[in-house]
Amino acid sequence: MIKHFLTGLLTVSLAYGSLAQTTFPQNGVYDERPGLYAFTNATIVVDPQTTLQNATLLIRNGRIEAVGTNVSVPAGTVIADLKGKRIYPALIDIDSDYGMPEVTRGPGGGGRGAGAPQYESNKKGPYYWNQAIQPENEAGIIFKANAAKADELRKLGFGAVLVHPHDGIARGTGALVTLADDRENTLVLKPNATAHFSFSKGTSTQQYPNSMMGVVALLRQAMYDADWYKRAGSKEQANMSLDALNRIRSLPTIFEANDKLGIMRADKIGDEFGVQYIVRSTGDEYQMIDEVRKTGASLIVPLNFPQPYDVEDPWDADNVSLAELKHWEMAPSNAGRLAAANIPFAFTTAGLRNKTDFWPNLRKAIENGLPEQKALEALTTIPAKLIHAEDMLGSLQKGRVANFIITSGNLFSADNVIYESWTQGKQYIVTTKAPVDLRGSWALTIGDRSNLKLNITGKTPDKLDYQIVADTARITPKVAASGELISMQVQLNRRQPGTTRLTGYRTSPTEFKGDGEMPNGQIVQWSAVRTGDAPASTTATSTTATSSTSAMASTTATTPASSTATLLYPFVGMGNAQKPKAESVLIRNATVWTNEKDGVLSGADVLVTDGKISKVGKGLTAPAGVKEVDGTGKHLTNGIIDEHSHIALLSINEGGQSSSAEVRMSDVINPEDINIYRQLAGGVTASQLLHGSANSIGGQSALVKLKWGESPEGMLIKGADGFIKFALGENVKQSNYPNPNVLTRFPQSRMGVEQVYMDHFTRAKEYAKGWEVYNKLSAKEKATAMPPRRDIELDALAEILAAKRFITCHSYVQSEINMLLKVADSLGFKVNTFTHILEGYKLADKMAKHGVGGSSFADWWAYKMEVHDAIPYNAALMHRQGVVVSINSDDAEMARRLNQEAAKTVEYGGVSEEDAWKMVTLNPAKLLHLDTRLGSIRPGKDADLVLWNAHPLSIYARPEITMIEGATYFSLKDEDAKRDALHAERSRIIQKMLAAKASGASTVRPTFRRARMWHCEDIEGVMAEGEEEKAESK
Amino acid sequence: MKKTLSILFSLAALTSFGQNPAPAKPQTKAIALMGGVVHIGNGQVIPNGVVLFDKGVITNVVDGTTVRLNLNDVEVIDVSGKHVYPGFISPVSTVGLQETGAVRATVDKQEVGNLNPHIRALIAYNTDSEIIPTIRNNGVLFSQATPQGGTISGSSSVMMSDGWNWEDAVLKKDDGLWLNWPAYFSRDFNLEDFSTIVRKNERREAAIAALQATFADARAYAALTNPTPMNLKLEAMKGLFSGKQNLYIRANNGKDIIESVRFAKGAGVQKVVIVGGEDAHRAITFLKENNVPVILSEMHRLPAREDEDVDLPYRLPGLLQKAGILVGLSYADEWWRTRNLPFQAGTASGFGVADREEALKLVTSNTAKILGIDNLVGTLEKGKQATLFVSAGDALDMRTNVIEKVFIQGRKVDLDDRHKRLYRTYKDKYEQK
Repeated sequence: MIKHFLTGLLTVSLAYGSLAQTTFPQNGVYDERPGLYAFTNATIVVDPQTTLQNATLLIRNGRIEAVGTNVSVPAGTVIADLKGKRIYPALIDIDSDYGMPEVTRGPGGGGRGAGAPQYESNKKGPYYWNQAIQPENEAGIIFKANAAKADELRKLGFGAVLVHPHDGIARGTGALVTLADDRENTLVLKPNATAHFSFSKGTSTQQYPNSMMGVVALLRQAMYDADWYKRAGSKEQANMSLDALNRIRSLPTIFEANDKLGIMRADKIGDEFGVQYIVRSTGDEYQMIDEVRKTGASLIVPLNFPQPYDVEDPWDADNVSLAELKHWEMAPSNAGRLAAANIPFAFTTAGLRNKTDFWPNLRKAIENGLPEQKALEALTTIPAKLIHAEDMLGSLQKGRVANFIITSGNLFSADNVIYESWTQGKQYIVTTKAPVDLRGSWALTIGDRSNLKLNITGKTPDKLDYQIVADTARITPKVAASGELISMQVQLNRRQPGTTRLTGYRTSPTEFKGDGEMPNGQIVQWSAVRTGDAPASTTATSTTATSSTSAMASTTATTPASSTATLLYPFVGMGNAQKPKAESVLIRNATVWTNEKDGVLSGADVLVTDGKISKVGKGLTAPAGVKEVDGTGKHLTNGIIDEHSHIALLSINEGGQSSSAEVRMSDVINPEDINIYRQLAGGVTASQLLHGSANSIGGQSALVKLKWGESPEGMLIKGADGFIKFALGENVKQSNYPNPNVLTRFPQSRMGVEQVYMDHFTRAKEYAKGWEVYNKLSAKEKATAMPPRRDIELDALAEILAAKRFITCHSYVQSEINMLLKVADSLGFKVNTFTHILEGYKLADKMAKHGVGGSSFADWWAYKMEVHDAIPYNAALMHRQGVVVSINSDDAEMARRLNQEAAKTVEYGGVSEEDAWKMVTLNPAKLLHLDTRLGSIRPGKDADLVLWNAHPLSIYARPEITMIEGATYFSLKDEDAKRDALHAERSRIIQKMLAAKASGASTVRPTFRRARMWHCEDIEGVMAEGEEEKAESK
Repeated sequence: MKKTLSILFSLAALTSFGQNPAPAKPQTKAIALMGGVVHIGNGQVIPNGVVLFDKGVITNVVDGTTVRLNLNDVEVIDVSGKHVYPGFISPVSTVGLQETGAVRATVDKQEVGNLNPHIRALIAYNTDSEIIPTIRNNGVLFSQATPQGGTISGSSSVMMSDGWNWEDAVLKKDDGLWLNWPAYFSRDFNLEDFSTIVRKNERREAAIAALQATFADARAYAALTNPTPMNLKLEAMKGLFSGKQNLYIRANNGKDIIESVRFAKGAGVQKVVIVGGEDAHRAITFLKENNVPVILSEMHRLPAREDEDVDLPYRLPGLLQKAGILVGLSYADEWWRTRNLPFQAGTASGFGVADREEALKLVTSNTAKILGIDNLVGTLEKGKQATLFVSAGDALDMRTNVIEKVFIQGRKVDLDDRHKRLYRTYKDKYEQK
């Protein structure tokens, strides 16, 4: 046993219980010890705000008994003199899987082409219907201590961790445990300390949910079900999951997000249920720091900085985006930026490639703007406070658990050494402390050779370098010094090669002696006597560890580029350094397509103020301060509105069930999709972001403006009506799946599709009725009545019945279109829009009668059986029957040429040019119930305008300016400057990256992730028809 | 309605529903198209021209304001104010090889196996495809039936958009072999977040080594006078070394373009064409030095990378053409969308190709040169086949692309198609009310 700082006691680290009594029988003789230790003459960092010099820490039975400069040490105390050393509270990690069973993912839940899909839970017992909801799991029960892993964390300075099983959407409770080596009964400080949630369904093999918006919906429904269970449901059924959800409601709750957008998404769920989540984030929060701060959430932040990319080859390096380059540069500044924004956060070691990266990365964060005090808070007091354990951990005050570390100096200095970790009052040696400081110059005598000199140097006394000087020769011996003993091998004489082997012991702090054997076998005596300090040059560094007089530097002296590097909004190469702002603009002398009675005006002016169109006319005068744009020879139109879009989304289809009315596309808006900018360059200003067509009843749409650089929330059109996607035909009946034999999801035919609607709307009617009856009850009656169960899926359908939510239905073939019209008529609701509607021309009269609009492709056909009768004259025929027709994209590429697609209705079927133009502007605005605000150039409407270089229906037309609410989001003349800035920034960071690689940083090959391009055909894990070949040929 | 329905149209209405019009009858009398804007296809335009053709061949193209022609025994068609174009050529096409994408039984574009030089696309070319009339009616009068898949996919043939069967319809048989170059970067689909991950292709070197062996064997085989046993695969590659056939190499990445061309030249291939060429702007100097033409993949695509200029795919033909590289446009296997090929040329013109006549070359004379059919078609010049059309306006712009007359080898083609038939049927339905 190593004595270390404790003198006067032979052994200290035998197990003893901190419990006064034990329930366990003892095999042998009880060995309960007093556990009373004092650490004197130390610099004690009691908490990040308080540092005591020359102070004493007294602990008893694993708890802190006293701390201060005036502590009297009782008799029977083991005393350690820590002169020149420091004591810090041990660190805390509150996102750990220490002691948790390994989460192993099976071969996913039945995607297309895999085995039979699983629609019901495989978990036996009275639990929730979905495997991903397992709040009944308790970390305190499944926790198993693991000596090797505990040691790894203690070496980093950690003393306690909050552990939970990282599996599922509702994951159960977390347990606060120490990293001591003992029975679990002792280690678990708080068995049900926290509740845990995530956006990942983990090992669940069940089909639902298979999208991010489905995850959100499932969790929301489970929360509502728990409410219902508390009020009424437990009388109907026993459900351990819902029971657990209610039990854990009062605990601090940690939500694991998968990126910065997830922080906002999680917080929105929390707001709905009155919970403020603590969010485990991913280190990219600095990119949306204002939005993150507004959530009010505290964060748990990892230190997993990206590695530099291998960018030697300039062509290969093109595969690394500027966003990735910038993230590499700026990620180390994340914590500093969070601190500056006053966002409370704790650090976690989770996500590190190697746990040993923890200290280098933390120091990098400090170099990049994180104050040391904040760093210490993030590892001690804040995590303790977040999980309501500040009375146990995080600072060194009386009564707290004796979790602390002993260091050579400032914890955050690069040359700091952690000597010991004390966990629950138990000593763990981290770095073997040399009993004495051997550094210095020693006179060495081996046998008859007495003119030798031994220099011992090193940064600390614990890691030493040895050198023997024999005359002019310098020889490096092999030395093993351990406690009182030393052994040494040295090649003394170069002319007579051979190793002299010595063994010896310390007689005093300044002398060694012992025996040795020369290469020829001759036994010799040897000794070494300290004569003075070693040569100065090699020992200078040894003092830096303790040179800082204050415990922590309050600010860092240097500010490296990463903390001053500029952000982009959004964080993409084509993002802007500043978010565009509304301006007052007068566009002069343009050909203005009003979409109003005035038709197309030539030589007209349009004045924009406060984001609105304020005047349209000829010869308008520009008020002071208004920017003038010359429109001579150009065309001014409304921005294009895409009725059917799947850009700017993280996920498209929740295909796990035939109805997913409960899912909301607003939960998965991706404001960083480059296609937003590409479409602005094509004149698009607003889009309906639709759920896909994997099931009969899809999800709720998000209506957005393409405000490049805004948050998801900022993109949503305020006050817009709610819409929902429905779908008919081949996709919902899974016709084009490669392995039809495993398909069991209802429906598999058009006959079944009708019944899906009949069933769901019948239930929705009854559901609405149930609430109506309940809501009419008096308060007294309500007290005894069973309330209906809130069902967010039926809520959405009931909204349709109440004309508060509107259907956009994916459709191709006339029979099914006719069917939905009949279903709607019989159940008393309206279909708002048929989208695709490629056979709309066959029953345009019926559509007009129902009042449903048609949103179609201009000329698509032949890609599958149900588009066999699709004709490019469809739009013209529907239009002439009085159907409101729009032309949409359903395609990220085509959306940037929707003006051309509209022009095809002139080519095929002879629609007038003005009517054709309305098909991508005013008509989609009508179909989206936004025509009072969008879609024409009239005073009072939103200034969503496009200035074209030519006739907008011409192939030669391109937008020169695209404006949303008076702010310029695309400007052709600024493109060159934008491109130059992008290239300059790329080059700057690449140079830096090359330098980092040259200095030895490990690099990664430039892999290059291209986000999914979505079409509504796309079902989980499936490429659209023909895409495989395209991918191969690239 | 701008699509004028000609007399042919109403005749077609009498034919039974659901069938393509019958192939046109051979030209029996000389025809003169008088007074139209004649777009030669080589960059020149005659504002008031006369196009004279007989027995399927153009006999004269002249400026109507200065030249007088003897028009006895000539059918004179007044096309004043209208535009006359050589038939557009759609290379890299599966028109005729597949009908309904999702219906496997209608798809004949790819054979099993990796090295398939012996596979010939024209065999599967279905002259009764309902796609064909729809592309013809936007001015696309030729398509290169092109096999897909494997490393060597087989050989393509240039087909006319009219004929009783593939033997009738073929313009140039087995014009070239198709090679899918083993890419420098491979793409993996990530099931977790549905993104595509691009990384260095570790299997590339082995694949190239295998190709080298095959090409070496083929070259040696080509020198044999009476090879026994006969090897159908190597037999099919002979034309590469004599210059009779093109080698079309599908490659997009800059490095793939350079490496594949160097490979082909080193292997003794005489004529090389790069197909795809999404990064061709990186390799401009190389392409120019090696005199390699490029058929670009569809322009109506997204930039390959997040940081790339948003309009790069639109500007690419202009960038290459300006540097003196011979460029053609394709719709890259998108069979039903092929009717939009003219509008790609229009887009190129809107984004940097000097003028519309230069843009026109991208779908006419340039492509004809690349495919080795410029002695037959691609321009409106004396001696070339009379495969041409009349449009009411600028055929590169969908706003004015209204095809009124189509002649294939001088034969007047019926302009009916499935879409027009369905249009008429339902227009009639509503008008009856």
